[in-house]
Amino acid sequence: MDVKNKMVAESMSFYYGDFQALKNISLAFPENRVTALIGPSGCGKSTFLRCLNRMNDLIPKTRMSGRIMLGEMNIHDPKIDVVDLRKKIGMVFQKPNPFPKSIYENIAYAPRIHGIVRSRQQTDAIVEDSLQKAGLWNEVKDRLNDLGTALSGGQQQRLCIARAIAMQPDVLLMDEPASALDPLATQKIEDLVLELKKKFTIIIVTHNMQQASRASDYTAFFYLGDLVEFGRTEQIFTKPHEKQTEDYITGRFG
Amino acid sequence: MESSVINERRKQKRLARERRFRFYGISAIVLAISFLVFFFTDIIRKGYKAFAVTEIRSEIVYSGDAMEIPQLAFQEDVREFVSYSVARMIPSDLERDPSLMGKSVVKWVTASDEVDQYAKGSVTRLDQDEQRMIDDLKRQGRLRLSFNTQFFAGGDSKLAEVAGIFSAVVGSLYVIALTVLFSVPIGVMSALYLQEFAPDNFLTRLIEVNISNLAAIPSIIFGLLGLSIFINFFGVPRSSALAGGLTLALMTLPVIIISTRASLGAVPDSIRHGAYAVGTSKLQMVLHHLLPLSMPGITTGTIIGVARALGETAPLLIVGMMAYIPDVPSGITEAATVLPAQIYTWSSASQRAFVEKTAAGIMVLLVVMLLLNATAIWLRRKYEIKW
Repeated sequence: MDVKNKMVAESMSFYYGDFQALKNISLAFPENRVTALIGPSGCGKSTFLRCLNRMNDLIPKTRMSGRIMLGEMNIHDPKIDVVDLRKKIGMVFQKPNPFPKSIYENIAYAPRIHGIVRSRQQTDAIVEDSLQKAGLWNEVKDRLNDLGTALSGGQQQRLCIARAIAMQPDVLLMDEPASALDPLATQKIEDLVLELKKKFTIIIVTHNMQQASRASDYTAFFYLGDLVEFGRTEQIFTKPHEKQTEDYITGRFG
Repeated sequence: MESSVINERRKQKRLARERRFRFYGISAIVLAISFLVFFFTDIIRKGYKAFAVTEIRSEIVYSGDAMEIPQLAFQEDVREFVSYSVARMIPSDLERDPSLMGKSVVKWVTASDEVDQYAKGSVTRLDQDEQRMIDDLKRQGRLRLSFNTQFFAGGDSKLAEVAGIFSAVVGSLYVIALTVLFSVPIGVMSALYLQEFAPDNFLTRLIEVNISNLAAIPSIIFGLLGLSIFINFFGVPRSSALAGGLTLALMTLPVIIISTRASLGAVPDSIRHGAYAVGTSKLQMVLHHLLPLSMPGITTGTIIGVARALGETAPLLIVGMMAYIPDVPSGITEAATVLPAQIYTWSSASQRAFVEKTAAGIMVLLVVMLLLNATAIWLRRKYEIKW
């Protein structure tokens, strides 16, 4: 099967001060596929995810070496504006963080500041479309002016997904998007991920092994800043090449 | 069995502790409220009389004699009781309108402060005979108490019966407007820069410490600063609302900076990250998200700072606003006084009649303060954000 790679990290290392959090990682993310990043806490998977849209730029005293390519573009190229980069790479956080504005405004904000929409009709259309894609439209269509923060946790997270896809990104980063949600809301998010991969390349960090095996096509296992193993999800979960991977996914990690 | 007895005893002790704690809390509140009630009753008891003024009905005869000695225009039995503020107008009235000469009118005119005090049952310097004459006037229906419009419409005067608070209110409004105009933009911008843009290094930490120190500096120091910078260096007119407003703006700045920074700091980082993740620039993040979210806090801080500035006297003493200024200022560069300064001026005046003026002035100041604080609470409620 021939799959194009949407995003590629090449010999990437990352440091918090003197501490090396990521060690020489090379990893490619196939287009329109879901790649899960798994590993124990502190293994660097979230750090890696935040490198992909340069959110780590916000943390002082960090540095990075290596290269990350989005298509043909080096994301650290000085000619690249970080605002444009983040427009192409949406992100959903662990804790739902809708803006304390109306549901409508939460979605309309990004398309508006990026000039994607010019008229009220266009904005209405993109709000409806994004909420449809995030599977939230039927629940909120009659109360678009309610505060986004007044929704339930699971709805808030889907609102954040809708907010991210409203700016029509190429890649969607998800940092443990379901870890703060109950099983039913988690189920909805997983279904959504499977639906959204038709349009976007999705990279998802998760602590939940079942989630990784259910929702992802590829899985990368990180341990102590190293990329231990990367492969198709069914291979990683059934016939891992590395002993460490096997120990971790079977819960025998010690 | 043993342990349930111990548990029961422990529970009783705990409940007793909670009851004691409640009792202490309630006593503290009762004590605070009783002080407040005492203060208010004292002020209102002294001050309410100032809202009425004594008037005497007299025939006024415009004559040549009255040109020389204005008191002669009034009926003989009230001559010495009529306020000089009324009497001194007789000659100028005649000059303006000579046709009045020889005519007479019957009018209610303001009585002098001693008559006023006697009529209101306060301590007076009138002697027995004079008091009897006043009693006679009252019996004839020629003495009445009416609402003291002069108090709200007029400026200060050496004659207690016509001294009013209006020029001080106008002065206060000018000063407060200028304070807000100068301190809010500068304060909010400084706080935004320090909190969101400035690097965290020795210099910015030094600035932070100094701002906190400035907030605790005695206000009179700001008066000296205002005197040397605004009046001596920039040549702002002394006693003017501009000098006072600028000085109080200096004093209010640290309060606004600190409260703005606190409310910016209270915005969770998840909002900043969420905004960055949808591709906002730093400025957009600040303007579209942080500023609106911290608006309630900024408003509250501003109003608290301004309310403090409104009641401030010490720095204004230095810039010359604590003076006898009877005229209503018509601009920000003219000599003006403010409410607390007016209250202080009256409190140190020698005539008894100024005691009630002082209390009434305090009542007016308290009402203005109350309105400001109520606005602050209303604004905070209106824009409060629930996470």
